[in-house]
Amino acid sequence: MSSFIERRATTAAALIALLAAGLAGTGVARAEDVPAKGGTLIYATDREPTCLDPHVDGDMPQVFVAQQYTDSLVSQDKDGRIGPWLAKDWTISDDGKVYTFHLRDDVTFTNGEKFNAAAVKANLDHIINPATQSSTAGGYIQQYLKTETPDEHTAVVYLKKPYAAFLEVLAQGFLGIEAPSALARGRDENCQSPVGSGPFKVVKWDRKSEIVFERNPDYKWAPPTAKHQGPAYLDRLVWKIIPEPSVRFASLAGGNVDVIESIPPEAEEGAAKDGNLTLLIKDRPGNPTNSALNTRRAPFDDIRVREAFVRSADIQGALDSVFFGRYQRAPGPLSAVTPFASPDFQAHYDYDPDRANKLLDEAGWSERNANGYRIKDGKTLTVEVLIGDFQGPAERSLWEQIQATAAETGFEVKLQNLGFSEWLDRMGKWQYDAVGEYWNTNTADVLRIVFSSEFLGAAGSGGYHQNATGFSNPAFDEVVNKALETTEEGKRRALYLDAQKIIASNYLQVLTFPQSTRLGIYKTAQGVRLEPSLSVPVLYDAWVRK
Amino acid sequence: MSAPAGRSLQINRLWPLGWLICRRLLSGALVLLASATVTFFALRLTPGDPVRAVLGGPTANPTPETVARAIAEFGLDRPLPVQYLLHIGRLLRGDLGTSFSQHQQVSAVIAEQIGPTLWLTGSAVAVAWLLSTLSVLATARRGWALSAVGSAAETMAAALPQFWLGLVLLAVFAFGLRWFPPQSDGGFLGMVLPTLALAVPLAGFLAQVTRESFELALDQPFILSARMRGLGEGAVRWRHGLRHAALPGISLSAWAIGSLIGNAVLVEVIFSRPGLGRVLYQAVSVQDMPLTIGVTLVVTLVYVVASLAVDLLYILVDPRLKAKRT
Repeated sequence: MSSFIERRATTAAALIALLAAGLAGTGVARAEDVPAKGGTLIYATDREPTCLDPHVDGDMPQVFVAQQYTDSLVSQDKDGRIGPWLAKDWTISDDGKVYTFHLRDDVTFTNGEKFNAAAVKANLDHIINPATQSSTAGGYIQQYLKTETPDEHTAVVYLKKPYAAFLEVLAQGFLGIEAPSALARGRDENCQSPVGSGPFKVVKWDRKSEIVFERNPDYKWAPPTAKHQGPAYLDRLVWKIIPEPSVRFASLAGGNVDVIESIPPEAEEGAAKDGNLTLLIKDRPGNPTNSALNTRRAPFDDIRVREAFVRSADIQGALDSVFFGRYQRAPGPLSAVTPFASPDFQAHYDYDPDRANKLLDEAGWSERNANGYRIKDGKTLTVEVLIGDFQGPAERSLWEQIQATAAETGFEVKLQNLGFSEWLDRMGKWQYDAVGEYWNTNTADVLRIVFSSEFLGAAGSGGYHQNATGFSNPAFDEVVNKALETTEEGKRRALYLDAQKIIASNYLQVLTFPQSTRLGIYKTAQGVRLEPSLSVPVLYDAWVRK
Repeated sequence: MSAPAGRSLQINRLWPLGWLICRRLLSGALVLLASATVTFFALRLTPGDPVRAVLGGPTANPTPETVARAIAEFGLDRPLPVQYLLHIGRLLRGDLGTSFSQHQQVSAVIAEQIGPTLWLTGSAVAVAWLLSTLSVLATARRGWALSAVGSAAETMAAALPQFWLGLVLLAVFAFGLRWFPPQSDGGFLGMVLPTLALAVPLAGFLAQVTRESFELALDQPFILSARMRGLGEGAVRWRHGLRHAALPGISLSAWAIGSLIGNAVLVEVIFSRPGLGRVLYQAVSVQDMPLTIGVTLVVTLVYVVASLAVDLLYILVDPRLKAKRT
């Protein structure tokens, strides 16, 4: 009930925001600026993290916060290449199972503790410990065996099997390095007041209201991807929680806050024209937003029906109408900013109702009932789509559009609106034909998580499966596992190209749009940038002029 | 000789009052137990999977060990009746448990979030009373036209849905005119719009009820006698009429506080305010049982306490009731 009301309220507020954006005048052009020290930047986010330690659970809001107060072992540049950060350099054994990291010796955490090899060990052990309940960071280093510390500044990490994506995932804020003594206090205390070595430190968290950071005055170990060295420019960073999109946007447009995240789609056009505001928009790497087609039951156990469904969905048309022409459709199984992503497979996902009709006829769905839906052996061609309440009104409208175009080729698409935990339950039991999902990560190894048989759900894990398509293909499994055994770039590229080809030609997902980070920035804030591993905002280089 | 008699008279008077409070507390405890039970089963019988919901959202990749550990930690591996008895047992010992979605003690979550909600509810009740009293005093029986205008305004105000009013106030005074901040973040200016969103419909309702009994009161002989003693119109209305007419409004206030806490959920969401309403909404969506029950109990408790307080207030305002009970 309350979710229904919130949804209605949200829609109404979105309309009002649209009106308000139209009424707002345009401001003056901005002068070029040099960084100014001091001041407070107010950042407003839509979702509050449930824990400030990014190792625990592991949802996107946590990594946004973690990026401000932690450093990572390695950095990743905009081309996806791995560089130094807390580790100066490293060597990898020939069998790909032993990583020897040589660490910086001048780094301290904001509680005064020294960063050293023991800290690396404590962090990796913490992530892999089931008591931490780490599902994202822990999921990414399931291959982890142990860390040895031969001397103060050398950490030797042993893996159970070769894992060429290891350095890539280490560059994500989800695996940010925290002070060992802080981790030792226990999960719930560390959630509230974590300690890192980053440019800011967490000083206060008023739940449902704000998180306050202060500058780390001793900071002098910024990654090579940063725009400056030394302490951050800002004195303070206030991270406000404003879930309601129109309120968040109005707070930005009125200058009450300096930066907002998740700028509402209906406000983007107006914001782009508003001289007081700039937009900072970047896709996130990984598997784009999509609906996974369940190959484990009819009708999508038939590849012809899967292709017909993909071909009958006019994605760009739906995106244009729902997102006011601001979103482009996904280029393939990997979003364009993912290392080794290929644009070659977008044509597989083109809207082609003629081909869809032909395929359905071939597959025996040649008759239609009174409503125009196709039937076979007295059964209607029905597609049950799970829509979780967390997916938001825009994605729901997008599916209503897809429903309409798919109906023209004879699919009866049933949209089933569910609360989050019910959605998870249906998903765990494979009770769906299509289910919305996405996966943000900075490595092409995401294909293994989303499509390999390894992730169909292990015994005793309550039916959880990251591979929501049910796809089980030995040739594909071999390709993605082979790609983990080599660190040679050319070989990895070739293998991931094969992997993308197999996925695209099996029609496993209806791809919609790449996940993206969409910031609105008021004229008072400068130097805000998005880091490349997950397109997370970095406020280290930012300054304010008020 | 006279002193003991006086004391026993006092005791006689106080005894029914004490008995009333005891009875109310006892029935309040039963209401609390019932509310915890209904919430427990309603949430548990909803299909769903609270474990994955907590372990990092839809793009989480927990290992089987992590999942098993979480299931054991939240006690979800026990049979349903056992979970229920364990939970009620903990509640009876005053332990609200730990919220597994917030990684915090439920009591800590409530302690942090109840302030903004009570503050909002309290200020809405106060403003509603202020507005309704002003409207009644200023317009009731002040000539046909004025009276009709007041009455019509009250009816309109009472008919406004609170969340709709919230959106309109936000659009006009925060987004458009920018007189108030869009986000209600605790400052005085930020309180104005959410308070009005809750208070205006309630004020209309209270005023309608008060107006009716106020007009009845003005027809009473004691008003005539007050006027004959030479009291001015303002004093007659304020001191005699209103005191008489406030009773139905006061008893409505207990109901109003309960419904305001319910509507505070919407207003907290619309204005992005912290508070119990938003906590409850999130707790239900991830099936965070301890937190949902904790917040439900607090809301129930506020309701129970408010209706007790109103019963007592009634006695203060209308001395006749004291006499009746002795």
